[in-house]
Amino acid sequence: MAMDVSFSKIEGRSLPYYLTVAVLAGFAVAGFIATLVMHAHGLYLSGMTNRVPWGLQISMAIFYIGLSAGSLVVSGLYGVFGKMEYKPFARIAAYLAMLFLIAGLLSIFTDQGRIDRVFTKPFTYVNATSMFSINPALYSGHIMICVLYLWALFKEKGTLTKITSLVVVLWAIGTHTGTGAIFAFVPRELYNSSLLPPSFVAAALSSGAALMILVIVSLFRATGRHLDHDLIIWMGRRLLSIFLLVTLYVLLIENAHRVYLAADHEAGMFFLFGGSHSFLFWVGLITIGCVIPAILLFIRRTGTSVPWTVFASVLVVLGVLCERFLIVIPGLIHPPELFPGWEVADVVFREGVVSYSISYLEILQTLGVIGVIGFMFVVGLKIMPLAPNEARVLPAR
Amino acid sequence: MLAGASGALSLPVLTSCTAETASADSVLTGKRWGMVIDLTRCREGCTACMDACRQENNVAFHGDARWDVHWIRRASLKPKDEDSGLSEKSVLLMCNHCDNPPCAQVCPVQATYKREDGIVVVDHHRCIGCRYCMIACPYNARFFNFKENEDWPNQDYPKRSHGVVEACNFCAHLLDQGLRPACVEACQNAGAGALVFGDLNDRTSEVSQLVAGGFVKRIREDWGTKPKVYYIGL
Amino acid sequence: MKRSSVLTEKNRIKWATFFTILILLPVGLSVAGFALSRGQAAEVFLEAPDPRWESCYRDAEYMRFHHMDLLKEIRDEVVRYGIKGGITLAGCGDCHTNRDQFCDRCHEAASVRLDCFGCHYYPERALDRELLRVGMIVQATQDGR
Repeated sequence: MAMDVSFSKIEGRSLPYYLTVAVLAGFAVAGFIATLVMHAHGLYLSGMTNRVPWGLQISMAIFYIGLSAGSLVVSGLYGVFGKMEYKPFARIAAYLAMLFLIAGLLSIFTDQGRIDRVFTKPFTYVNATSMFSINPALYSGHIMICVLYLWALFKEKGTLTKITSLVVVLWAIGTHTGTGAIFAFVPRELYNSSLLPPSFVAAALSSGAALMILVIVSLFRATGRHLDHDLIIWMGRRLLSIFLLVTLYVLLIENAHRVYLAADHEAGMFFLFGGSHSFLFWVGLITIGCVIPAILLFIRRTGTSVPWTVFASVLVVLGVLCERFLIVIPGLIHPPELFPGWEVADVVFREGVVSYSISYLEILQTLGVIGVIGFMFVVGLKIMPLAPNEARVLPAR
Repeated sequence: MLAGASGALSLPVLTSCTAETASADSVLTGKRWGMVIDLTRCREGCTACMDACRQENNVAFHGDARWDVHWIRRASLKPKDEDSGLSEKSVLLMCNHCDNPPCAQVCPVQATYKREDGIVVVDHHRCIGCRYCMIACPYNARFFNFKENEDWPNQDYPKRSHGVVEACNFCAHLLDQGLRPACVEACQNAGAGALVFGDLNDRTSEVSQLVAGGFVKRIREDWGTKPKVYYIGL
Repeated sequence: MKRSSVLTEKNRIKWATFFTILILLPVGLSVAGFALSRGQAAEVFLEAPDPRWESCYRDAEYMRFHHMDLLKEIRDEVVRYGIKGGITLAGCGDCHTNRDQFCDRCHEAASVRLDCFGCHYYPERALDRELLRVGMIVQATQDGR
């Protein structure tokens, strides 16, 4: 069944379009300046401290990396599973995945203490046992494969598309496991968990699929091209809902395990009930991010409606953003149990539970990264034929 | 058994990427530096070791608990169980110079590495300031220079600019001159003598004898990091 | 092949001019700078080291081109491999006592940023501390980065 899908550049001449481009460019410049200021004067301008050395930038970096997984799954629907009705989205998905990986790398790069060294030293001196050495290699390789995949899609090379699509999905699983491993392979109480990489992958798939739904619906609405609602409904009800259930499952087991074992009980209870991050967990991740969207998608009335699916997708993206914070921050604000049976009290350094607050410069840096990839996306749509002319369940006659 | 054997073989591989091999002319071969901290001799309110370390090594102090760097620091231990009858005590925390250092395992550029003499050292020419070693250290012993250090008390020794991570290095520059680390010297001069430093490979050294005596303990030995800072009275 | 709406037959001269100027701008600035300074390069003067000392590690020509490689080798040898007793940056300071004249003059003229002095104190000899005190030499400034 030959699928006659055509792609074309978007017009990109309307006022909303130019405004979007301008705003994104403004964000990018603001982020660049914020990064320069932070690195001229020192990272004390961020909210990070010697107890919380990783903050917003790293949380956003893993968020972006996670988003790339979901995009690739959507493009994999066509490339790997041969679902022809998803061919229209394949190019956007591959391009977005590449952009999210760039965003992840950019977030990490701008967070280093000595950016001037980060351009040369990690490439000259590699540590095979370090996840921070392995992961940039995985991310860069991933970007290369995405480029190859996009090229195969543009040139309509059937076999190459199939092969690269499979490779890119497998590589994505590797990348995301590696990203989870940055935290899981470290002897810190709330990080050290074998379930962290799988939970990272599950949340990545959920957030990526949700964001693809949002991007596709907005794009088709903005350009006025035809989009068959059933395609979105299927992505919501049959794809996203499954990812949400898997995410919930892994989260349940991870937390139950910690709370059950006497050794980890205190840390597990701290994570679930011990601070403002617990609010992020129960309200942000579980309720808003998983349970409500899952219910909305499973109930027939809301699950078969595009506006409700879009709403559920927004909730999922927000929930997974909370989850990325919950991976990074609670493990740092909770003190290590150095002396079991004893509580370490401050004398010159904050030994107990601390807190982390975001500074304005960090927010600007984050906006900067969003600006850069947002700009690359909307301008890419205009200069390359990424967007399909229409997306139908059945081939156009 | 095969799994156990392969496990025993693989951990050295996993950490060997992080060990630096010295050449024959180097001062590093043969020794295995360690420290014993006798908490029963550590005096309440005394800050001699902390001050001496800060003076000797130009460790940054900004007066702000968020960004101050501590190579050695005091902390206070309170028993969690109030009915246990145990009383509050002091402890000194510092880099433990582990034989299986998680910090060296995760440094992406091998700026943090374990020298042949066992000291875990940061090469500040190479550190990119990613802070992954701080995340990996389960003892919270590593600190990042968030702010430029304005003071330079010891101009014969470099200070660190902002953007790199640092931790205690057993005053390697003093060891090279045959002297003892600043904290050990200061504690001796203060009359307490709570810090004992020496070569663990030398069975006649005081540290080796204290360790062999069996009354020493290390922090969370179950983590498998094999720290080389031992405590008496913990 | 879709026709571009931005670059048309009529405005191609305009776009060509714009991009040519954009690309040649750095070159133009350099040429203008050269012309304005009337061809005089910034004078770089290295003070002669103390004549009491015999010689440097290698001759001036070699040092001018290879001092950075030498410094990198030395720092790896000393810091990472523990080989002490060779030449050091502090050793250079025994003869070349003034950082301004020894390092900064050329580096500022060549516009190559130094990363050393945010951490390393450039040592002064006792004689220079005396000269400093009586105001005969300029104090080496500390680069706080």
